Formats: sequence, C-alpha cells, structure tokens
Amino acid sequence: MRGISLPRTISIRHEAEAMSNNHRNRLIRPETLTALGIVAVATAFLVPTASLKPISALLPAAMLVGLIILSVALLIDDQRKATAGEEPKPMTSAPKRVLGAFGLILGYALAVDFIGFYVSTAIAVPLVAYAFGYRNPLGLAIATAIVLGAIFMIFDFGMSQDFPAGRLWEN
Amino acid sequence: MYSDLLHALPNVVAFANFAALVIGVLAGIVVGAMPGLSATMAISVLVPFTFGLDPLVALGLMAGIYNGAMYGGAIPAVLLRIPGTPAAVATTFDGYPMAQKGEGGFALQVAVVSSSIGGIASAFALMLLAPPLSKVTLLFGPSEVFWVAVFGLCSIIFLLGGNPVKGLISACFGVFVSVVGSDPIFGTDRYTFGQLELLDGIHIVILLVGLYALPPVIDLLETPLKTDTSNSDKLGTEPIWRTLPRMLRFWKTWLRSAAIGIWIGILPGAGGSMAAFMSYNEARRTSKTPNTWGNGEPEGIAASETANNADTASALIPALTLGIPGTAVAAVMLGGLLVHGLQPGPMLFRDNPDIVFGFMWQFLFGAILLVFLGGSLATNSFAKLLKLPRPLLGSVIIVLMLIGVYSIHGPMFDVYLMLGFGAVGYLMDKLKFPLPPVVLGLILGSFAEENLRLALRIGRGDWSVLFANTTSQILVLMTVAVIVGPIIKRRYFNKSANGPDEKA
Amino acid sequence: MKTTMKCAALAGVMILAGGMALAEYPEKPIQVIVGYSAGGGTDVMARTTAPFIEKYLGEGASIVVKNMPGASGQIGITEVANSDPDGYTLGTFNLPGMMARTLDRQADYDRDSFTYLANVVNDPNVIVTSKNSGLDTIDKLIAEAKENPGAITVGMSSLGGDDHFMLIKLQNMTETEFTIVPFKGSAPARTALMGGHVAMGILNISEVANFQEELNVLGVALAERSDFAPDLPTFAEQGVDLINGSMRGVVAPAGLPEDVEAKLLDAFTQLAEDPEFIAAMKATANPVEVVTGADFKALTGDLYDLAKEVWETTPWN
Repeated sequence: MRGISLPRTISIRHEAEAMSNNHRNRLIRPETLTALGIVAVATAFLVPTASLKPISALLPAAMLVGLIILSVALLIDDQRKATAGEEPKPMTSAPKRVLGAFGLILGYALAVDFIGFYVSTAIAVPLVAYAFGYRNPLGLAIATAIVLGAIFMIFDFGMSQDFPAGRLWEN
Repeated sequence: MYSDLLHALPNVVAFANFAALVIGVLAGIVVGAMPGLSATMAISVLVPFTFGLDPLVALGLMAGIYNGAMYGGAIPAVLLRIPGTPAAVATTFDGYPMAQKGEGGFALQVAVVSSSIGGIASAFALMLLAPPLSKVTLLFGPSEVFWVAVFGLCSIIFLLGGNPVKGLISACFGVFVSVVGSDPIFGTDRYTFGQLELLDGIHIVILLVGLYALPPVIDLLETPLKTDTSNSDKLGTEPIWRTLPRMLRFWKTWLRSAAIGIWIGILPGAGGSMAAFMSYNEARRTSKTPNTWGNGEPEGIAASETANNADTASALIPALTLGIPGTAVAAVMLGGLLVHGLQPGPMLFRDNPDIVFGFMWQFLFGAILLVFLGGSLATNSFAKLLKLPRPLLGSVIIVLMLIGVYSIHGPMFDVYLMLGFGAVGYLMDKLKFPLPPVVLGLILGSFAEENLRLALRIGRGDWSVLFANTTSQILVLMTVAVIVGPIIKRRYFNKSANGPDEKA
Repeated sequence: MKTTMKCAALAGVMILAGGMALAEYPEKPIQVIVGYSAGGGTDVMARTTAPFIEKYLGEGASIVVKNMPGASGQIGITEVANSDPDGYTLGTFNLPGMMARTLDRQADYDRDSFTYLANVVNDPNVIVTSKNSGLDTIDKLIAEAKENPGAITVGMSSLGGDDHFMLIKLQNMTETEFTIVPFKGSAPARTALMGGHVAMGILNISEVANFQEELNVLGVALAERSDFAPDLPTFAEQGVDLINGSMRGVVAPAGLPEDVEAKLLDAFTQLAEDPEFIAAMKATANPVEVVTGADFKALTGDLYDLAKEVWETTPWN
C-alpha cells in the first residue's frame, strides 16, 4: 500500500508525475471523494436530529458526528498520501462493465415492479448472461427455463407465494 | 420431564415426520447455499403454508430448514465469499482464502462437521437444560442486555481490518443504519422520510444481501469470461472419513464455540451472527498461531460454523419458555408454533409434551442428518452449480437476491433498498472498507440503544442503574478485559512480528 | 382522449362485472389482508376464522389470507382502506392501535374509511406484578403508588396501545403516578417482569394465562369474569372500575354494497354462536367476543375518543 517496497526509481518517477498533476488530481482521489461524500451526507442527516427529543437523537447524532470526524481523518490521511505522491489505486479496471451491470440489475428490479416478475425474469436472465459474455443459446435457454420453472414450482405452486404482477397492468 | 422426552420419540421417527425433517434439512441446505435466500425468508414463506399440516410435520420442516440453512450458508461463503446467511459472515474470513488455495472441499467438510457438532450440542442443551437455562435468561434485564450488546460491539475492534479509520467508519455506518425506523421508546420516526416500509427498521437480510451478494455479482460480471483455471476451480474433495482425523485437533474450538453459541442463543435478540463473530474472535485469541487466521485457517471455519449452529436450538429456549426469540429465525419459528396453537410458556411443556419434545428431537436428528445429507453429495453438487459460467451464475444470483429480499415482507421497496445497499457495498468493497463491522453495527446498535433507554427508564433517568447488579458488573468487567487485554498483550509481547493478521 | 374513453369503458365493464358479482357473492376468492406477519396473534385469528366464514358464506366461498406486515399493521390497514369496496378485500383491524395511529402519526385512513363487519377478539388487559415485588393485591399496589409516586415501574408492550390506555385510566381513576417502561412487545415485558426487572406489568389475559404461577395476576379489566380464564377475578369485583382491552376484528373498505355487507354480517353473526369456532379460538389463546356491524362501529368510535382524549392531555411522543 505505502509503496515502500517499490524500487526507488519508480517511486521517483511517480513523484514527478504526481507533481505535475498534483493540484488537479488531489481532489478526485477515490478516498478523498468518499470522505467528502460521507461528510456531506452525514451533515445533511444531522439536520433532522434537531427535531427529535434529545434522548432519541443521541445515538444517531453520535454516529453522524463520529462519521464526520473519521472521514476528516481519512481525508487528511489520503491527502498526506497525495502529498507524498502516492497514486490512488484504481477502483475498477472496467468502469463501463460495472456501470452496465448496475444498470441492468436496477432495470431488472424496475421491470419486475412494473411489468411483472416472470416476464422480466425470463428476459433478464438470458440478457444479463449474454451481455456479459455467455453466448451459448442452448445454455441460455436451459438455464432460463430451469430458473423460472424451479421458482414457479417451489414458490408459486408449492408455497402460493405471490410475486409482483406488474404495476402497469394493475390499473 | 425426561420420560416425556422418551415418550415423544416414537412420533418423531414416524415416517411422515421424519421425511419432513429430511426434506427440511435438504431444503435448508439449498436455501442457505443460494446467495440471496436466507433461513428467515424460507421459514417466513413456510409458516402460512404449514397451517394445514400436522404439527410435527410442520415443525420438522422448520427445524430441518433452520439447521440446514445454518450450514448451507457456509457453501457460498467458502466458494464465492458471499455468506448465504447473516451468520455465515465469519465463515468467509478463512473459508474463501482456503477455497482460493484449492482447499475448498476440506473447508466445507470442516464446516459441515462443525455445524453438526454445534447443532447436536445445542439440541442437547434444549432437550435437557431448557428450564434451568431459561432462568439464566431471566437474569438479563435491560441493563444486562445492554452490556451484552456493548460486549458484542467491542468485538468490532477485531474486525476493523488493516485501516482502523475505515473500520470505524463501517461500524458507525452500521449503527446509524440500525437507528432508522421508529424510536424504540416513543415510536417517533427517525429517518423514515414518511416511508411506512422503513418504520420497522431495516431488516438484516436486506442489508446483508445488498452488501455481500451484490458486489461479488458485479465482480462475476465485471471479470471477462475466461479466468478461473486457477486453484479455486479445484475443490480438493476427499471422503469425509479421511478428513475427519485432521479435524480432531479442533476439539477445543468445538467445545468453546458450542458454549458461546448456546449462551448467545439463550440471550434474547443477538443471534447467530454475533455468536459466530464472538467465537471466531475467541478462537483466534487463544490460538497459538493467530497469524494464519484470515488466510485460510480451517479452525476459523470450525469456530464460526460450530457457533452459528449451536445457537439454533438454544435460541428456542427463551422462545419456548418465555416467548422471546433469541434470533430472527427463531422469531419467525415462534410464529410457526403459534399457528399450531403452541403458546410459549412453562405450560407448553406440560400441555403439549409430545409435540414440544418431538420438536426438540427433530433438532437433534436434524443436526445429525446434516453430516449425511450435507456431507459429500449436496456439497459437491452445489460446488458444481456455483461453477457455472460466471455471467450465467451472476444473472441467476441476481434473480435469487430479488426473490430472497422480496419474500421476507412483500414490498418492492425492500428490493430497491437492497440495491442501494449494494451500491454502497460495492464502493466499500473497492475502497477496502471492511464489511463485518456494518453487519455487527446494524444488529447490535439499536439493540444496545433500546436496552439502554429501557434501563434508564427503569432507573428513572439515573445512569447508575447500569451498574446496579452483579450480572451487569461482571459484563462490564468482561467488556473492559476484551478491550484492554489485547492492548496490554501487544505492549508486552510485541516482539513477535506484527500482531494478529487483521485481514477480515 | 383515448385514455379517458378507455377508462370509461373499463369502469363500465367493472360496474357490470360488479353487478353480476353481487348476484352471487362470493364468486371468487376473498382476500383478507393481515397487517402482521404470519404467526402473530392477529394472523392466527384471521386464519382460524377464515374456514368458519367460508362455511357460513356457503357456495364454495374461499378466503385467502395475505400478510402485509409492517409499521404495526398500518401498511396492511392502509391497503384495505384504499382497495375497492367490492367485498373481495377485507382486512383485520386492531383496536385501539389502528385509531391511535391516526393521532400519533400521519395516516392515510380515518375511522370513516371502513365498513365495520365484526370484532372477533376482545383480549382484556390484566395487571400483573412480579413475585418478588410483594404487591399481590390491587389495593397494595395503589397504596404503594400513592405513597411513592413514580416509584413503581410498569412494563408494557408499547406507548399508544391498549396497555398504555389502561394505565392512563388507572392513573386517572386512582390519582396515582407510575413510571412507564415500554418494551418492544409484550413477551419481553413479561420476561422482564418475571426476572424482577420491572415491578408491575400491564399485559393481556391471553399473554399471562400460561404464566399464572410465575406472576401475580391482580385482576382482569372486564365487566365479568372471562371464559378464557374464569379463575381470575375482575377489577370490578375488587372495587376498581377498570375495563379495557385489545380488540381484533375484520373490516372492509367503506362503501361496501349493502347485500354483500348483509351477507358478511350474517356470516359473522353465525360465527359468534359456533362452539367449534370458540374452541378453536381458545386453543390459540384468542378470547372471543363477537360484536358486529353498527355496534362494532360504535365501539371503534368510543375507543377513538378515548385515544384522542389521552393524546390531547398526555401525548406520548
């Protein structure tokens, strides 16, 4: 983490690079951004505690203040590292895939809510698998059928558990 | 009482009742092994369905599911680093590193044997010691329970990971999430933003699925398809009779963890995750080689799996005798008992001995069955299932997560909440914020607060009520010892390397 | 334009369908929404009642219990209040809780949102004391409370529930003062009482029936002795006129067609007399007291007034 084990030449090169981009990069380091984000959110959450009784507000307020103090500590620590020219670790090697995956999952949840569980699942399972590299059509078909069939047999048929039918069709 | 116990036995081994138990254990293993599905969810789906069943069939199913799921949760915890149930979080610490080293098969065998031992110990505690142990529960009023919660929260110290600041941020986040909902005393809203769904607080399963299952799923999808010809592909399974001798050296851990699990079980409200964390910490603390912990030490799996199964039956002791469930699952099971007209209380044992004692036998048999059913067959087939092509596995887990969260209460709101936690969990995972403190903070934060405030009301605002009796004082001393002990130890014995490895 | 026409057409179809449904209600499954999880007291009441109502509605009527737990039943009852008044959605209704929620928080329903079918369970309050408190009669309890105002700690299940109103009644009647300790639910309160962590508890009769040896039961807040536990004396017998309890019943959304309402009311009236039903309810610790239609509505009104009075004089949050 601390780059102590790096050969000297590399760490010098890092420092040189860091110098040139320092001011621009300092604030967009992931940990710095996280710390700032936590401080902002925690401060926002502190506002409603004012309307609570003191004893009700005690624990949440203590935790929020704790979060703010700890985030400031994290911020200082990370900025020290920035000053020392330490490069932040990249969050992910493929941000597009990550965002895509999140988008698909959220889309799936929304679809379940609005157009119903079984339809959405029948589309989502092969779609997600296909989008992320599993392209065997037979495999996709079998997997989807097994998942849907098993869920229907166990939950719907066996336990008479209702899944969302889709808000769009309700009214 | 013991003659009642024997009298109940023939009924338990009757075909339908025993079959229900076998099905329950198998179903439990499946449910536990599916990331996203939990024992709480399975039993809450089952309870209304059991209304038309014979009591022992219904209870057998539930006892089986409970036992099976507590072990089943270890399967994805070991193979994917996704704890299948909240109580399996501590199993990931050493289970996943073992799987990466190609010892996943051994890890799962340790898990199944330990689970079974924990379950058997717990069942015996329930069968033989329920009345005296329920007296122990009575000793724990609000101020004592508050100290238990504080004691549990202190074990967060050992879960902080490499960077204490980040660990504490995680813990504060967990505790903060626990206060969402109605105030424990006045019932006023805290951070519910007018959402009725938030009024009862955030269910542990929602947080767990979001934090622990979503990030690995994203990882499954993120990494391009090829990968995985490494060690983690090999499970390294050997027949259980050959691996068993290698496990016998865990006997101390088994005993200690079973005791911890039973003890946590009889205290209201804390539950299996706390038992697993505490026994993991205790086992590591007393280990001669604390440095191997967190890097694939099978004893760590033994500790957490013994404890989380040891609290299954013992959590039913306060549930059956006093009506206060020891764990979230026991709470749902209590509902299953009420459906069959089994009212908790001392009279329960007198009025329905065949059913109650039969239920206890079912816990014992369930725990024993675990080794046979969970041993090689189920474990191997699951291990195969979890090695489906990654994108396919990822998309199936997404569906399971949705079902698992949706089926607990019903509203889609919970699903969106889970996705929100998933996003937070992903960022935390990438930025190396440890997740276990969040789980422990959520479980124990509001629990500590509620009991503190009840104690203060009983003391009419006087804080000295917290130290007023012996049980409280002992708990305070234990808490202090847990915090101060390691500091002293580190100061005097610091010459040997850099202390315990904190790669939680 | 198009949508309005669609809507109109749809509404027309629905009215037609409704009209046909009226002819032979019930012609499809009736859903009973329970605002608590499966296995709770209210859920067990609904599930125990369901087959008997099916029997009295006749013609292959079927009832499906649906749990919508959360927010002390508020999520479920709000759903009932907002559903179509066609007789195919009913819901369980708890008093005084459901009325108290319209006072202490924002609620999307009020007491006029429902067609009142029947109250089924009346679980009277009891006052219990721990064995080691020495307060084994109501007179001793009152004397002690007068001597040391606020010294007696009272465990109960929550603020703004029947337990709480019971205590307020007791305080007003005897001019005493107690310290309220609201646990989360009655089982923890009862356990704290057995452990001697609180001195007194206000619970319901069904919750103490199995614990009579572990606790002192001082009295039952009912006009006459309860069939559920006939050996327990009432407060009235002891010269303290306390009557209070927790009620559970069944309501439908307001504006139920008259013939559907009549058919349902008839079913509940027959239910009240069914010995098999009373036995089944007793086995699940539900003391039965069936109050139907207008009387149930009046009962709700009374409890609302009580809750309102308490809320205005001593708000609990």
